[in-house]
Amino acid sequence: MADPRGFLNIEQQKHTPRPVYQRIKDYNEIYQPLPEESIRAQASRCMDCGVPFCHTGCPLGNLIPDWNDLVHRNRWEEALKELHSTNNFPEFTGKTCPAPCEASCVLEITSPAVTIKNIELAIVDKGWEMGWIVPTPPEKISGKKVAVIGSGPAGLAAAQQLCRAGHAVTVYEKDDMYGGLLIYGIPDFKMGKFYIERRINQMEAEGVKFINNADVGKTISAEEILSSFDAILMATGSSIARELEIQGRNMAGIELAMPFLTQQNRRCLDKPVTEKEILATGKNVIIIGGGDTAADCLGTCHRQGAKSIMQIDYNPRPPENYNSETPWPLWPKILRLSPAHEEGGRRDWQIKSSKFVGDSKGHVKELHAVRVNQFYDETGERQFEEIRGTDLVFPCDLALIAIGFTGADKGLPAMFDVEIDSRGNIGTGRKTYRTSKPNIFAAGDARRGQSLVVWAIAEGREAAREIDEYLMGKSSQLKARDTSLLQIGLPGMTK
Amino acid sequence: MSFGSISKEAHETLAIAMNRIGGRSNTGEGGEDPARFKKDSNGDSRNSAIKQVASGRFGVTSNYLVNATELQIKIAQGAKPGEGGQLPGHKVDNFIAKTRYSTPGVGLISPPPHHDIYSIEDLAQLIFDLKNANPHAEVSVKLVAEVGVGTIAAGVAKGFADRILISGDSGGTGASPLSSIRHAGVPWELGLAETQQTLVRNGLRGRVRVQTDGQLKTGRDIIVAACLGAEEYGFSTAPLIAMGCIMMRKCHLNTCPVGIATQDPVLRAQFQGTPEQVINYLFYVAEEVREYLSAMGFRSLDEIIGRADLLKQRKVDHWKGKNVDLSSILQMPPVAVGTPIRCVEKQADRIADQLDWELIKVCNPAIERAERVQFESPIANKNRTAGTLLSYFVTAKHGEDGLPEDTIDLQFNGSAGQSFGAFITKGITMRIRGDANDYVGKGLSGGKIIVAPTADSKFIPEKNILIGNVALYGATAGEAYFRGIAGERFAVRNSGAKTVVEGVGDHGCEYMTGGVVVVLGKTGRNFAAGMSGGLAFVYDIDGDFKDNCNHEMVDLVPIVDYKDIATISNLVNRHVLYTGSTVAENIVNDFSTALSHFKKVFPKDYRRVLEAKRVAQRQWELVNG
Repeated sequence: MADPRGFLNIEQQKHTPRPVYQRIKDYNEIYQPLPEESIRAQASRCMDCGVPFCHTGCPLGNLIPDWNDLVHRNRWEEALKELHSTNNFPEFTGKTCPAPCEASCVLEITSPAVTIKNIELAIVDKGWEMGWIVPTPPEKISGKKVAVIGSGPAGLAAAQQLCRAGHAVTVYEKDDMYGGLLIYGIPDFKMGKFYIERRINQMEAEGVKFINNADVGKTISAEEILSSFDAILMATGSSIARELEIQGRNMAGIELAMPFLTQQNRRCLDKPVTEKEILATGKNVIIIGGGDTAADCLGTCHRQGAKSIMQIDYNPRPPENYNSETPWPLWPKILRLSPAHEEGGRRDWQIKSSKFVGDSKGHVKELHAVRVNQFYDETGERQFEEIRGTDLVFPCDLALIAIGFTGADKGLPAMFDVEIDSRGNIGTGRKTYRTSKPNIFAAGDARRGQSLVVWAIAEGREAAREIDEYLMGKSSQLKARDTSLLQIGLPGMTK
Repeated sequence: MSFGSISKEAHETLAIAMNRIGGRSNTGEGGEDPARFKKDSNGDSRNSAIKQVASGRFGVTSNYLVNATELQIKIAQGAKPGEGGQLPGHKVDNFIAKTRYSTPGVGLISPPPHHDIYSIEDLAQLIFDLKNANPHAEVSVKLVAEVGVGTIAAGVAKGFADRILISGDSGGTGASPLSSIRHAGVPWELGLAETQQTLVRNGLRGRVRVQTDGQLKTGRDIIVAACLGAEEYGFSTAPLIAMGCIMMRKCHLNTCPVGIATQDPVLRAQFQGTPEQVINYLFYVAEEVREYLSAMGFRSLDEIIGRADLLKQRKVDHWKGKNVDLSSILQMPPVAVGTPIRCVEKQADRIADQLDWELIKVCNPAIERAERVQFESPIANKNRTAGTLLSYFVTAKHGEDGLPEDTIDLQFNGSAGQSFGAFITKGITMRIRGDANDYVGKGLSGGKIIVAPTADSKFIPEKNILIGNVALYGATAGEAYFRGIAGERFAVRNSGAKTVVEGVGDHGCEYMTGGVVVVLGKTGRNFAAGMSGGLAFVYDIDGDFKDNCNHEMVDLVPIVDYKDIATISNLVNRHVLYTGSTVAENIVNDFSTALSHFKKVFPKDYRRVLEAKRVAQRQWELVNG
């Protein structure tokens, strides 16, 4: 902390988004980075807290005050080293993370937080620009072989870590491109795809073997994997979408969010779309759901040129700035405005869809809905009641369902005879990444349910350490956040 | 925690909380704004019940002492024994400097020892002084957990303190250097157990209440402390956290973002703590204590005080921990049945036969109606702390402003005992024809003290010692004239008194932060060590003063400033008037020649601040005409 009074003298300044009229005409990234000098000034706002709450806020335990200081002192290469010591892919988190670190920043109590995410991104961007990020192949080879199934952020982080520990890692990806949701889930305007390719190239140079279009059970059998690898990591994500089970769901024009986003991502990558095309162009679109996926759908619809867009959410509208239920340093449950909301569309809360009504050809025409009230019953469980006489009808040519995911694909665990937990995820102990089989591990959304990229990377790193310990029979030299995640355990598994 | 280390808002919130629930908050060693002594309109009181008297004696005035429920002599801090309090210069703003009677912008380091305490008898004398300064306040002594603290505690109990605080090593020391925090002190458990056992064995425990502190946080801590012998418990980190501290550990940088450990007005505005938060926390602690007591089968905390037999050592498997033997901490001393193991009586009343009671009677018209009173009385060295009790009644009636100059004019004949005129307030003048012992004018708070030999004495006054050591220690205001030489440590930590003396022993004006000292003769060595404010003028007729002065923090400059000339002239003339000094008379008679022999002792920090002020004033004049 070179300047103890930095936070008093410098105001928060974030990356600026491009103007709406300009950015909705393309799929390029929304944010323009700040100049280096501004980033360094922003870094000097870090107070180097005696108890850095950002360390606990960040699932990776990023050494935030340390690299903030280095950035301020213009020691970027060291900052990059510090950053990489806890995070394999800072550009992924720098682009996509909602930044729980900033929510838990001590400055946030009284003034806007340090722009940690932007600084992180600036460090890693500078690293690529200067050519400081190079493959670091292992110094010793262990002779052990690990299969990583799934190439999302969890799988990639684990693969890179395991490879650097000297194990021979093979990554199996069922799609044609690597990156999981990073490549086909997250729209280009949030994160450009070349970031992923760059990392894949780095990892290949380090010795990770990648196999795409590899659908375990079809192109390669479970037995073959079991017999040829010493350990297996399942990082297949939480891919089963939650369904909206209401009347008329089977009509044409009612789609899940993920195929819609995937198609657009394929178009942006100049890849063919083989299924029936889902396009919002010229349509009245209803987006059901209030999360990040819904916002991604919204941004994509704007860019496809929808006629009208309505986003509806079951939950009540959260408070705008401060929620007394989630005081600092908790992640605040407040109204989130993503850039997509800035770009247009309407948004409403406390609406429960009741049925779809279609035209004669079986295509959806209207969504009927009703307002609901949230209350807590005597056991403290959250309940909803419909408010009478509040029936709503929305014109609807395309409905996109983005109400979350219910767990991992069950086919793969079944093939390996691995247990599923009560929440539909691949079952591991609360404080371990090991499944019911001693040599099979799970990490990322497949283990903890749908979550953030930063959690996926964190789980991948920790799982890698556990696998390394399993393979070598001794404590691992791999860095991961010290047992903290294991101590905290999985969400919803407090008992 | 002093006001100074933490913000006004935070300090007052703690005081309000404690006053609401019948607890006691502590001023810390930084003095207190007199505005806080009055109740707020809503009935809350921001007055700290415990007023600390530390080695720095910052802001220890008669008024400060009078407004206390408990007076605490801080011998040392548990977390950094052997070192005094430390306040970095950038936290000393104008207001803090005012309450501390020091110079804004100049760092304050409390001297490790009290300059008036070099033995247990000296401590007993200070306890006695404080009981005179406020007969209604109890006096506590803050000791540090260490090997042998039991012996010291026994001495303190015999010295008639009402309470003994055993402070542990892990207390908060936000602003201290790392070297002061690490590897210093021992846990309160050790010191407390030793104190309890020693006091019980010596039959002293029944006379004093024992307090402990040092990272107490939970009801369990209280129960353990009670069983080991503490009746009262100090908290500070936990209440701070209850009202918003997030342990930034920037207390030394003045940048506390939640407005607690800072004096920056912008950051202080961010303070969001409330007394309710602190009260809530403490009530939870109390509730937990009740739960433990009921589980243990006791009805009140008193029943378990000193019951170390209720504690059992937990067995651990750790290779290092398993060899720890706590049996000597957890034992109850083998004493006769009925020997008290907690406080059951008050300390004996020691001020009943003070000379002052007669003075108070005589001075009643002055105290009640501010009428002038003159009185003459013999005095002998058994009359210790003369005038202090009288001053209590004046201050209690008239507050900080006291009475007009010389309203009470007392003439004593003989040899005064220790602490003559300690803490006397404005309007009281005390003269001696004779001499005086140690601590003359200790903590002088606006009164006037004049000591001169009798007219028929055979010796040459300016060649002989007239008053003892440590005169004017911690004086904050007032005047003193001594026709003769003072002992060692003259005017140490003086922060406002003006005085003339005809020679001083070693360490004169050490740690001085304000006031004026005129020495018309020789000084001992180490003069002006650690002096950060105020001025000293030394009549250096032999030209060897520079060898005796400690130049680390002061410059020696000739007298050129007309203000300095006026100050010297004024004080020396008064000296002649009050004491009939021949040395002073000679100087007055040939003032311009004498002036060339005077040396001005100018603290560098003070000089820098004055210079900055002068420049700012000049700029203001240039801009505003």
